[in-house]
Amino acid sequence: MSSGAARLLVMRGITKRFPGVLAVDRASLELDRGEVLALVGENGAGKSTLMKILGGILDPDEGEILIDGEPVEIPDVATAKSRGIALIHQELMLAPNLDVAGNIFLGAEHRVWGPLQRLDRASMNDAARELLERIGLDIHPRTPLRQLTTGQMQMVEIAKALALDARIIVMDEPTSSLTVAESERLFEIIEGLRRDGIAVIYISHRMDEILRIADRITVMRDGKRVADLDARATNHDEIVSAMVGREFSAWFPERRHDIGAVVLEARDLVVPGAAEGVSFDLRRGEILGLAGLVGAGRTELLRVLFGVDEALGGTILVDGQHVEIRRPSDAIARGIYLAPEDRKLHGLVLPLTVAQNISLPDIGNYEPRWTLQRGRERQVATQQVGKLGIKTPSIAQRVVNLSGGNQQKVVLAKWLAMEPKVLMLDEPTRGIDVGAKAEIYRHMAELAATGIAIIMVSSEMEEIIGMSDRVVVMHERRITGIVRRAELSEERIMSLMTGKERAA
Amino acid sequence: MRKEIGMFMALGVMCALLAISNEDFYGTSNVINTTRQVAMLGTFAIGVSFVIITGGIDLSIGSIIGLTGVIIARISAPVASSGAAYPIWVGITVAMAVALLIGLGQGLLITSLNLQPFIVTLGGMLLIRGISHTVTGGGNISLGDIPFRGFGDGGFFGDRVPYPLVMFVVVALAATYLLHFTVFGRYVYAIGGNREAAAYSGVPVKRVETLTYVISAGLAGLAGVAYAAYIGQMSQQVGEMYELLAIASAVLGGCSLRGGEGTVVGVFIGASILRVIENGINMFKITYTDAAGAPQEWRLSDTWKNVIIGGVILGAVILDQVTHILRDRRRRRRVGQ
Repeated sequence: MSSGAARLLVMRGITKRFPGVLAVDRASLELDRGEVLALVGENGAGKSTLMKILGGILDPDEGEILIDGEPVEIPDVATAKSRGIALIHQELMLAPNLDVAGNIFLGAEHRVWGPLQRLDRASMNDAARELLERIGLDIHPRTPLRQLTTGQMQMVEIAKALALDARIIVMDEPTSSLTVAESERLFEIIEGLRRDGIAVIYISHRMDEILRIADRITVMRDGKRVADLDARATNHDEIVSAMVGREFSAWFPERRHDIGAVVLEARDLVVPGAAEGVSFDLRRGEILGLAGLVGAGRTELLRVLFGVDEALGGTILVDGQHVEIRRPSDAIARGIYLAPEDRKLHGLVLPLTVAQNISLPDIGNYEPRWTLQRGRERQVATQQVGKLGIKTPSIAQRVVNLSGGNQQKVVLAKWLAMEPKVLMLDEPTRGIDVGAKAEIYRHMAELAATGIAIIMVSSEMEEIIGMSDRVVVMHERRITGIVRRAELSEERIMSLMTGKERAA
Repeated sequence: MRKEIGMFMALGVMCALLAISNEDFYGTSNVINTTRQVAMLGTFAIGVSFVIITGGIDLSIGSIIGLTGVIIARISAPVASSGAAYPIWVGITVAMAVALLIGLGQGLLITSLNLQPFIVTLGGMLLIRGISHTVTGGGNISLGDIPFRGFGDGGFFGDRVPYPLVMFVVVALAATYLLHFTVFGRYVYAIGGNREAAAYSGVPVKRVETLTYVISAGLAGLAGVAYAAYIGQMSQQVGEMYELLAIASAVLGGCSLRGGEGTVVGVFIGASILRVIENGINMFKITYTDAAGAPQEWRLSDTWKNVIIGGVILGAVILDQVTHILRDRRRRRRVGQ
């Protein structure tokens, strides 16, 4: 390091505004060579925005970036790459129709000299083979990408970064779709990068991973850096309270526990491609947590209960009666509703208004005499907007213009307007801000108190433990345990989730 | 409604310029003729809009227009011009039934086999056109001088209100009601806005989508009946490229090919713009006196027709996109302060 104490990367006083939000607010970040920095924070804390600024995808409104002590501008992705910065997005940016080598050199293809810029496949394949070897991935460079597992694709992204001689590699939630074994492999590769002097910024929500692989932990909240911790000298609780800015217990509402009769029962359900032998029951007024790693089959199970997919075997009972659920309208007719994980993809019709979204599932009943009762639609919407405290200028506002938290409330509203019996919430607080989160929890508690049975899929351990009366834990296509509230602990769920333990 | 208002003003300006350039433009016969053209195009453009609002596309409607006419001619034209001389209502009924069945067939292929609307209706377009060709045997079938012809060129109040205009008004009112005042209409917009979310809300997505193809084909059939009466000489070429005119009308009138957007009023304005441009190319003239002092007239050649229509379509979408971008930028700046 000839430039003495100059750090590899310094971001200082970075500010970025979006319509209606201050996404990053005078945030700073430092990084040294060969360092693994964990960047943590709640969803919407500004981590991704800050990384997009580093990667040249967004321009900061204020602030400066120094590399090796030199101030630099990063106006676009090409510049970021040429400065050795590589971003690996959570949604992998790969072309499934190309082969591995083609993906590694996408945008930086080797060419044969000449006017035609012919692709030099031989040279790319050789270089790709070397890179794959370096990260210990045993696949042929000519393998079509779509034949790889998600874990292998992640490795290809890393190879792609190495092909650019990246000095800083940003990984956004790299393990969110990996199996345990694949994650282990990734950690080994990160260790190898560290030895080569490459710096890694690692965005994750998984505390155990962070504490294991990071050297330092930068915590963001509301767009600011709120803590910079030495990974060896901190612990889970310190990180989490820095993330949420208050003690954790204060988050979750008091619950009344009047749990009634069984309303929904699954017996030996076979979920296509995702799970089998699924048996559990759900009672009136109960909040049933559904925990498991990504890919454990939780979302797929909800899709079967809601009739989006059909079960391949097993039975579903509602109020003790055997029922067939073949399509969403079958579930809806029985008062079983789903607020899906991806609100924008499955939950809402973004160009329609708040009122139109709320009435959508029930609209068939709004037309007794050939004409839509728009007055009734407005009345129902107004009532729900008031009840849930949806912040919108009017019920005629298009939902695309609402914030994430308010969009989620619109999804809830459309089902609450129809008196649910069973409400299934898939990641109900994903991507919404801290305040709205607490509100969603409060509404869930109130709904359960009125006798509605709730199934909640969540990847946030705190949420599972804070809200659930019982927790069903899934691991690799099976239920590995059902834990009562009195026995709930993070360790217990974690060990069931990762398959270390299997309840009888 | 913003787009619709903008296009309506553009239409107004165009009409004003044409009226100034050539007083024949607002002469009775030209107005009646243009109105008739707008009405017939508007009828099937509204049909395809249902499909477009759900996010689909229907390329077969031009061929359906041709086929209905050919069927009517084959069944109801006098024997002398190789028809079968059945009463006209038989011809119309059979033709409409065929149109509706084609729509149903295409709709079912698209929804139940999950085929892409573009491909299915492209295949339909070629296949149906081919059937017309076979039925006419490559030549013409003349409807002759049967009273049905009056539906095409006649009208109420001494032919001042063309019958096709009345047909269009009825169709437009019914479509407006269907789209904005019924559950079916809400489903159409919801599917176009987000098919998945609609399915997750229990909307019978496939049934609604299938119905939009039936509506599209049905209104094309209806327009086909009007064209048959109007043209009288049915060859396999009637209705060629009309599907593209209909799609252009819908887009000019504010429909998005991504789905979820569009109104009947907009489609009417879009169809009017296209027909006024066509008419305007014949009408537009500039009179001046040359160096010798003799009065001269400059007219647009008919060969410019497609250049101008293409230019107008591109211009409209560019303008729309640019205003979008500018508005976004302004909003962002306001929030930044």
